[in-house]
Amino acid sequence: MAATDDERESRPAAEAAEEAAPKAPEKGAERTVEEEAPEQPAESAESAEPAESAGEDGAAPRPRARGRRGLLAGAVSLFGEVLITVGVLMALFVVYSLYWTNVQANREAGRMTDDLRDSWENTPDDGKPRPVDIGDLKGGIGFLHVPAMEENILVRKGTATEDLNKGVAGYYTEPRKSAMPWDRRGNFTLAAHRDGHGAKFHDIHRIEEGDPIVFETKDRWFVYKTYAVLSETSKYNTGVLDDVPEESGKTKPGRYITLTTCTPMYTSRHRYVVWGELERVDRVDEERTPPPELS
Amino acid sequence: MYGWIWRHLPGNALVRALISLILVLGVVFLLFQYVFPWAEPLLPFNDVTVDEGAARR
Repeated sequence: MAATDDERESRPAAEAAEEAAPKAPEKGAERTVEEEAPEQPAESAESAEPAESAGEDGAAPRPRARGRRGLLAGAVSLFGEVLITVGVLMALFVVYSLYWTNVQANREAGRMTDDLRDSWENTPDDGKPRPVDIGDLKGGIGFLHVPAMEENILVRKGTATEDLNKGVAGYYTEPRKSAMPWDRRGNFTLAAHRDGHGAKFHDIHRIEEGDPIVFETKDRWFVYKTYAVLSETSKYNTGVLDDVPEESGKTKPGRYITLTTCTPMYTSRHRYVVWGELERVDRVDEERTPPPELS
Repeated sequence: MYGWIWRHLPGNALVRALISLILVLGVVFLLFQYVFPWAEPLLPFNDVTVDEGAARR
């Protein structure tokens, strides 16, 4: 660190040396100094007398050429510094998008998760088979648990960037409106980030056919079973969100769930889709005992 | 560039190193707080939904 700084320090001094007497040796001269007098530390090169004379021996007759070379060296080293700076910026951006956004998103999702769970606890149970408290729709409608991927993913409305950046999974409102799990028919369609911002669907490729996908609301466990995986499709393929997603092989209306995210990892070139079909609905008991799929 | 900054900082090497550290941390803070959040949606890394090409994202 100190050595490079000193080296830079000497460079503009060399530029100035064009007018002034060749007081400060430039880079090239410094090198000769080091070669001729290796015992001389680099810092003292500017002031040390023997070093100066040693430098003059070689380069004294052409002070103008030295100045031009100093200018060139300055330009080259400025270019180098710019390149290094760009490299450091890109590295920092990677740290930001793969680490820092996760920290921020998980903090926010954690806060909203607590809010939702608190509101569930504080809502008196009137014993009615109510699928979800409508008042909760703003903060989130429930939690997605996929043992093969990740559990306790908060699900909220909307798939806009600012929604998903909060470290949650969002249900689609456009281009096709998602059905809700408690609807008699339809497709519950979700999206979440593959990388950064919580990366809730990071391990979506671990989900295999037959794996359970469980959605938890205040008083219901909706247990789905994965029946189809589409490992790559166009990002314009909105057909995967259809009420009856034909691409998954279904032809009749039913209660489906669709998870979408981007693939391959770290890009947004294609989309990865997982489909599940509702197997059964369990009531949530006093202790919120999870269904056997989750234990 | 960095040499110029270094030479224009006051104090001895230790003080300059401390000021440099503070400057670097300040720049990183500005990047993480303002510049990267602004730049991120402009880059094709975090688009996860399916949509019609023209649809707002």
